[in-house]
Amino acid sequence: MRERIVLIDGAMGTMLQQYGMELGQLPELLNLRHPERVTAIHREYVQAGADIITANTFQAHEWKLGDAASVEEVVSAGIRCARAAGAPFVALDIGPLGQLMEPMGTVTLHHAYEVYRRQIVAGAQAGADLIIIETISDPYEAKAAILAAKEHTDLPVFCTMTFQEDGRTFVGCDPLTAVSVLQGLGVDALGVNCSLGPTSLRPVVDAMLLDARVPVMVQANAGLPVIRDGQTVYDISVEDYTDAVAQMVHAGVRIVGGCCGTTPAYTRALKARLSEITPKAPTPRGVTVCTSGTKAVVLDGVVTEIGERLNPTGKTQMKQALRDGDDGYLITEALRQVTAGAQVLDLNVGLPELDETAVLSAAVRTVQGATNAPLQIDSSSSEAIAAALRVYNGKAIINSVNGKREVMEQIFPLAKKYGALVVGLVLDEDGIPPTAQGRLEIARRIRDTARTYGIPDEDLLIDCLVLTASAQQEQVMETIRAITLVKRTLGLKTVLGVSNVSFGLPQRELLNATFLAAALGAGLDAAILNPLAARYREVLDAFRVLNYEDRDSARYIETYSQPAADVQPAPQTAETPGLAALIEQGRKDQTADKVRALLSHTEALDIINTEFIPALDRVGKRFETGELFLPQLMLSAQAVQNGFAVIRDYMSSLGQRRETRGTILLATVQGDIHDIGKNIVRMLLENYGYDVLDLGKDVPIQTVVDAIRDKDIRLAGLSALMTTTVTSMKDTITAVREAGLPCTFWVGGAVLSEEYAQYVGADYYAADAMESVTIANRFFAVK
Amino acid sequence: MEDAKAEVLRYLGYRGQELSATVSDLVDTCMAEIRTAAHPRHIWRVFPLRPDAEGLALTQTDLILSGCDIRAHLSGCTRAALMAVTLGIAADRYIDSRKRTDLTAALILDACATQHVEEVCDRVQEEIAQDAAGEGLTVTARFSPGYGDLPLAIQPQVLRILDTERKIGLTCTERQLLLPRKSVTAVIGLGTHLPNDAPAHGKCDTCAKRENCAFRRSGNEGDNKS
Repeated sequence: MRERIVLIDGAMGTMLQQYGMELGQLPELLNLRHPERVTAIHREYVQAGADIITANTFQAHEWKLGDAASVEEVVSAGIRCARAAGAPFVALDIGPLGQLMEPMGTVTLHHAYEVYRRQIVAGAQAGADLIIIETISDPYEAKAAILAAKEHTDLPVFCTMTFQEDGRTFVGCDPLTAVSVLQGLGVDALGVNCSLGPTSLRPVVDAMLLDARVPVMVQANAGLPVIRDGQTVYDISVEDYTDAVAQMVHAGVRIVGGCCGTTPAYTRALKARLSEITPKAPTPRGVTVCTSGTKAVVLDGVVTEIGERLNPTGKTQMKQALRDGDDGYLITEALRQVTAGAQVLDLNVGLPELDETAVLSAAVRTVQGATNAPLQIDSSSSEAIAAALRVYNGKAIINSVNGKREVMEQIFPLAKKYGALVVGLVLDEDGIPPTAQGRLEIARRIRDTARTYGIPDEDLLIDCLVLTASAQQEQVMETIRAITLVKRTLGLKTVLGVSNVSFGLPQRELLNATFLAAALGAGLDAAILNPLAARYREVLDAFRVLNYEDRDSARYIETYSQPAADVQPAPQTAETPGLAALIEQGRKDQTADKVRALLSHTEALDIINTEFIPALDRVGKRFETGELFLPQLMLSAQAVQNGFAVIRDYMSSLGQRRETRGTILLATVQGDIHDIGKNIVRMLLENYGYDVLDLGKDVPIQTVVDAIRDKDIRLAGLSALMTTTVTSMKDTITAVREAGLPCTFWVGGAVLSEEYAQYVGADYYAADAMESVTIANRFFAVK
Repeated sequence: MEDAKAEVLRYLGYRGQELSATVSDLVDTCMAEIRTAAHPRHIWRVFPLRPDAEGLALTQTDLILSGCDIRAHLSGCTRAALMAVTLGIAADRYIDSRKRTDLTAALILDACATQHVEEVCDRVQEEIAQDAAGEGLTVTARFSPGYGDLPLAIQPQVLRILDTERKIGLTCTERQLLLPRKSVTAVIGLGTHLPNDAPAHGKCDTCAKRENCAFRRSGNEGDNKS
């Protein structure tokens, strides 16, 4: 492979269609029904000069095959067909699962892994020489397949993803994210296939060549499909195709082959052309990159903000949310930080009474579903880190290792396996060295140890550690000196948790911001901080001008050219409508202020009982009579919600908690992911003073049963949109009844009706969100 | 655009109430936003139809369209087009991102996306009609799996035949939910002298929810609740 360009065969499906296969059939079944036809096609490619023959196993997994045949028989027959054709090397071909992964779809990493595992083990046992994972849109799906391959075989793994004209995959993954995730997971080659012709794929290939440490491969289509006389044909000639591929090989591509529309004629032409070209060794830029599933953050030459607020230390609300398993807090806090400017989010859920391994993994799934900012997994438990890295959909940052041998021995193998960046703290068994030189030595030891695990230098971030100015004032500047020293001597990136410096002193923001400015001046690459803090914001915005990052100061000018005094609060005159009127008019942005004003002279409970509830009742009535339609009802509900938030904060500041009218469980049933209706019901129920335990969407039956049992739920609402998921509703209710739990159910959703409600065994049917409130009111009044 | 907005409002349950400027503006904004977020893609292919014991077979494929409703819909047709349209996953993600911060906007965006995907379907249908006209054929309205008694269970087959996963990024779950969510698959009949070639016809009449649907088009023949 070092000496010459490796040639993979071309399309199988195109060839089978030429031989008259019906559309809609699984081509893989031909391995059993007509192996001689499959072998004949492979043989044509062998004769054309292909080094690697891709077995006809693309969709040979249990979801696609169903009851038609077993994975094992189809895969082993596929490998046999390729072998029988005299293939020099036989690749087990692994395609996408045909269903979307979380959070866009419902497939979990574990589920995908299990499906791939079966296909891959079957291929390895049948004697495949390597594995090609191809036509992937979601790096998370690739991850499931790569892990299954690496954990069950020693075979080389190649992986290609499929990009569209906009340079992204269908799920929005860009080339840098793809390269970072795939090579982080240890593939032996990576690249692109399908969708477009070689010329159109060129920009994606060039982007990959910039950063790939492993050989880059290209399997382009023979252009775009055109229907001629009822047959699909492709619009690029053998000659044009070969020219375009040869140019990419000159640019550094090492492995080539065909995809849709290519035939043995293309393979033969490529063979002839490529034998003249000497392969180029990869020349990666070596930049530091972390990613989510769809977004890459490059840390070179810029200041990166890592939001620190997803951490329960000192946050009562977050502690409560973690104990309750309430995703809403994490999502809201994640979005607030990203909106404020955080590019990466630190995630820490360490609470002594929680099972950190389970909670951290769940939190990773929640947060990666809500934002595409990459995550920094922050934990002192290697077990929790391992589990979190496994379910993460991109290239994460681990926070952290330090100079202690034992810690490095635990964490570096995980970083290597999952391709994560690692924060290295400059402390060891003897604590934090007092001098910059001492910290540099620990950083060097961390780097040298990381290298022995095969972790590249660019995947390390050194934290030179902040000491508090109130306790160790003489050492504060030592941190700044260490940053410069580490960067200059070792060439490593640096990161710093800034806010510790001000601990125990007044006006902490002032010290923090000043310290941040000093650290940035010393060359700090990434700061872990609260992105919502105004003074940090100012320092960062200003530094990005000085750092030639905010080009032409565009963002700075946009943010700071308006004098702050321009915005004047709306005068609160006597004519301002009352709270109830604001609610009825759906003026959701004005109720919070109004409630704040009222709280100075009115009891919170009075506001709820004399303003919120009557106003909502009136709006609800008008909705029921058809005088208002749903968006109007919802604006009013949001107006109440915003007012309630003020009351909740006010009461919790007094150490009070509002009395609940009852706890209600809500869930969109298993298999269904349409949850807007359920969310509307949730908001209205909360407005009426109920505590809602919202289990979310696609909720497994057992999760509902467990929650009803554990939280002693007496009223539960289920939603489903599709006729196909209404059965899930029935199964859920049946399971709860069989568990002997005395819970009353009501159901709602687009396809639901009285008849369906009876069919699924529900007690009530709600035709709209207001009826859900009526059902709840009646239920808790009767009790 | 006014038609489009009227359609969005219909999805939102609007029935001629007084429309506040706030809601009206919000709908305008959401319509613009979803058009920016969406990345519509489509694919279609025409197949000759062949009567079969179980229904109408699409030749060159393994698909058989079964049920009385599709048979009625395609009566007189010699060919059928299979089509698939999706707004792409970015539209889903955009709507989802607003669910936490502004549920009213999320609801309206969802309706805008539904309208938008239907509009794209109309354009694709027009493309098919023009293609058919070239051969002297006219077309029927769209008919989707799950309408009437055409089983939703054919969805995976339709996707496989059109190779939608690779071509336009459209998949379905085990329970035949299309993902990305804002997607449509449909059958359109092609023939000469079709009796029912008015595109609006049939949209509601064969729907399983026709008796109690809140979104039912007014102006259609038959009763509706408004």
